[in-house]
Amino acid sequence: MHSLMINGNTHQVDVEDDMPLLWVLRDELGKTGTKYGCGIGQCGACTVLVNGEAVRSCNFPVVAAEDKEIITIEGLGNNHPVQQAWIEEQVPQCGYCQTGQIMATTALLFKDLDPSEKEIEDKITNLCRCGTYVRIKKAIQRSAELIENQKG
Amino acid sequence: MYKYKLKRRSFIKSSTLAATGLIIGFTYDPKKSLAAKTKIKNELGIWIRISPDDTITLIVPSSEMGQGVNTSLPMIIAEELDANWESIRTETAPANSDYKNPEGHGGQNTGGSNSVKGFWNLLQETGAAAREMLVTAAAQRWNVPLEECDTKLGNVIHKNTNKKLSYGKLAVAASKIEVPSSPSKKSKEKYSLVGKSIQRIDVPEKVTGAAKFGIDIRLPEMLFATVRQSPIFGGEILSLDEVAAKAIRGVKAVVAVPNGIAVVADNTWRSKKGMDALNPQFTGGETPHLSSLNIHNKLITALDKEGKAKIDTEKSLDLEYEVPFLAHSTLEPMNCTANVKENSCEVWVPTQNQGMSMDVTKEITGLNDEQIKINTTLLGGGFGRRGETDFVTQAVTISKSLNKPVQVTWMREEDMQHDFYRPACISRFQIGLSKEGLPIQWENQLAGPSILKRFVAAMGWFGVDPTSTEGANELPYTIPDFNFDYSLVDTGVPVGFWRSVGSSYNAFFTECAIDEAAKLANQDPYEYRLKLLKDQPRYLKVLEKVVKNANWVDPLPKNHGLGLAIHKSFGSIVSTVIEVSSNAPGIIKLQKAWVVIDCGKVVNPDIVKAQMEGGFIFGLSAALGEEITLKDGRVEQSNFHDYSILRLKGSPKISVEIVESGSEIGGVGEPAVPLAAPALTNAIFSVSGKRIRSLPLSKHGIVIA
Ligand code: FES
Ligand code: FES
Repeated sequence: MHSLMINGNTHQVDVEDDMPLLWVLRDELGKTGTKYGCGIGQCGACTVLVNGEAVRSCNFPVVAAEDKEIITIEGLGNNHPVQQAWIEEQVPQCGYCQTGQIMATTALLFKDLDPSEKEIEDKITNLCRCGTYVRIKKAIQRSAELIENQKG
Repeated sequence: MYKYKLKRRSFIKSSTLAATGLIIGFTYDPKKSLAAKTKIKNELGIWIRISPDDTITLIVPSSEMGQGVNTSLPMIIAEELDANWESIRTETAPANSDYKNPEGHGGQNTGGSNSVKGFWNLLQETGAAAREMLVTAAAQRWNVPLEECDTKLGNVIHKNTNKKLSYGKLAVAASKIEVPSSPSKKSKEKYSLVGKSIQRIDVPEKVTGAAKFGIDIRLPEMLFATVRQSPIFGGEILSLDEVAAKAIRGVKAVVAVPNGIAVVADNTWRSKKGMDALNPQFTGGETPHLSSLNIHNKLITALDKEGKAKIDTEKSLDLEYEVPFLAHSTLEPMNCTANVKENSCEVWVPTQNQGMSMDVTKEITGLNDEQIKINTTLLGGGFGRRGETDFVTQAVTISKSLNKPVQVTWMREEDMQHDFYRPACISRFQIGLSKEGLPIQWENQLAGPSILKRFVAAMGWFGVDPTSTEGANELPYTIPDFNFDYSLVDTGVPVGFWRSVGSSYNAFFTECAIDEAAKLANQDPYEYRLKLLKDQPRYLKVLEKVVKNANWVDPLPKNHGLGLAIHKSFGSIVSTVIEVSSNAPGIIKLQKAWVVIDCGKVVNPDIVKAQMEGGFIFGLSAALGEEITLKDGRVEQSNFHDYSILRLKGSPKISVEIVESGSEIGGVGEPAVPLAAPALTNAIFSVSGKRIRSLPLSKHGIVIA
């Protein structure tokens, strides 16, 4: 049994220690907003926050997630500034990568509300096969503005 | 032009609510439909449903794979209907030939950039017919002449008295009115939706994680499966360890599927673990000794057999270009969910091809159209890969054998190694220039595998395939002596439609060849094309705009270079300029790209822009680093660590302009893809003097900064 704290709620899951958090979320808990793309930490579709850090959940064993605060896309609600920015900039095409992009952005801005272009390029390494990068860049900047305003 | 007739259908009965209202649909003229039409389920063929509560449901006949059809197609109906956009809901059409694209080939499918293009007229007429029926119903209710009635935002208005009735309130009465056979369409000046950058309907759910892709389907008692197929194409199972697989927690069954084996478990990860324990070994296959080198040699042999043309001009070129196989790598890997029961079957699948999904399901289950329901989920990318049905076959086969709902998900490794790849091709040119430096003789020989052959055997017998030769067999340039030849070469590697198909390589070949001719003639690549396009006003306009946007004629900073390309595909003309810089040999920075498209007419400009940006990046990614290679009969790449897709870092800024020429409407999903490779290689030539004639660029030591 593993006890997981996800989006503020505790879940008990009876799975093997080495089962990746991704599959626990998707197949055991029905939280399908976190996606599978590669299983080897390459694409970022499975990005979630673990104690505020962006983590690729496909190679993050469930045992390592115990006693930590996990936030998935479902935990952002539907009106988070990053989500708003994504809507304003009309980023998603197929949309499959976007929940991961949004989680990676949330983690980045959590640390630094004014990331340099280089920092954005180095930190946001998630793949988008539809090629929405132009808009992702704009949406990251817009997200930062919206968060600032909210703090205002 | 196809013919269809608008036809009213009987109401759908529902036990829980009186689902009455206006339901409008139509069916194809049976004379024009290829297959003889049998009985249609009465809820099919419907396009618009207006309920008494004023919600309007529009059926979207195409698959939403990111290209925006869930927004753009409803916009066309809503415009003619004069509906309130806020009240619009959408549903993806079920599998039924009523929803096949009037301009499509074969059955009900989404591809060829022709959703808006193919459905435009039909959706306009459907919306206009419904509007006319609603107006007639209102005029009858008020007992006033039709001319005194108008429509606005989902209401019929009596102009003289300002009385109004909502569509919902009129829906039942309207449903009893004869469907007009030739409803009058709005004039363009009256458009309030079409031509506007309305926000996409699917974006909100795609940023919250609520959007349901195929891989997200969850059914009660559903089992999860994964597959392994023979790495050598067409091989068979030699050995496996079923005991070991079943010892893995949660593993329920091992089931044979065509060309491979499936492990079924209570979650996806356990099915994968079970598969590793099963450790299937394969034998035989159709391609045991295949390698990239012997495919290359085969293509060269075919071209040598074809021979080169003799050129007598003083200045001439003799060129050879090559492209590799490419994978689609949709970010959502192949998957399908099926629930086969004794007398029914339901399938949930991210598919571009409802027609063929229905066909294979029928074949495996022995059930008929009425007993099978194909649900199209959102697609996590398509790019042509999801026009295939190999994953549907597997899900239906496994569910049938276990009598349970089953979801099959391919691990990325399977997805990469069992694609229907973009063909590898070689193209040769012999080009003769006039005294003025312009091409007067153009000889081009292309060798490569055929995609269509798999679907239309006769193509193979005659050695033709228009999808392989598109974009090279005719050029917009004025060239007096133009010859093109195609050698169809079977390589044994499965090939398929990959976003922009033949143009994905032919634009690279021809637009680089033109640049080389300009160089030989010592002329500016833009001015050179201008001269050759003087009889092509549509091309000229696009070309002139893009060079203006990119400040082509202005001097560039040191170590910067520009590359230009222009190409027409799927009815749209696209031209691009890309600016690169290079401060060290081989290190290239993509500074900025300018894209101009003339797609005739535009439904949603922002969606067109998004497709230009995405398509261009898709093309850049392939040109820079994508390559599928073969060794010992199998694909060498297996995941994103060895199949390199462009990331945010390195992507250029892109500015897009749309030329609305009013010409016949063209597609937008694919036409930007072909431009990236030639524009970029031409830019690299301009900055470094290095002419690269085979892709990907990474093979030539090009690294993106
Ligand atoms: S699925 Fe985790 S990084 Fe790709
Ligand atoms: S939007 Fe399709 S993969 Fe990013």
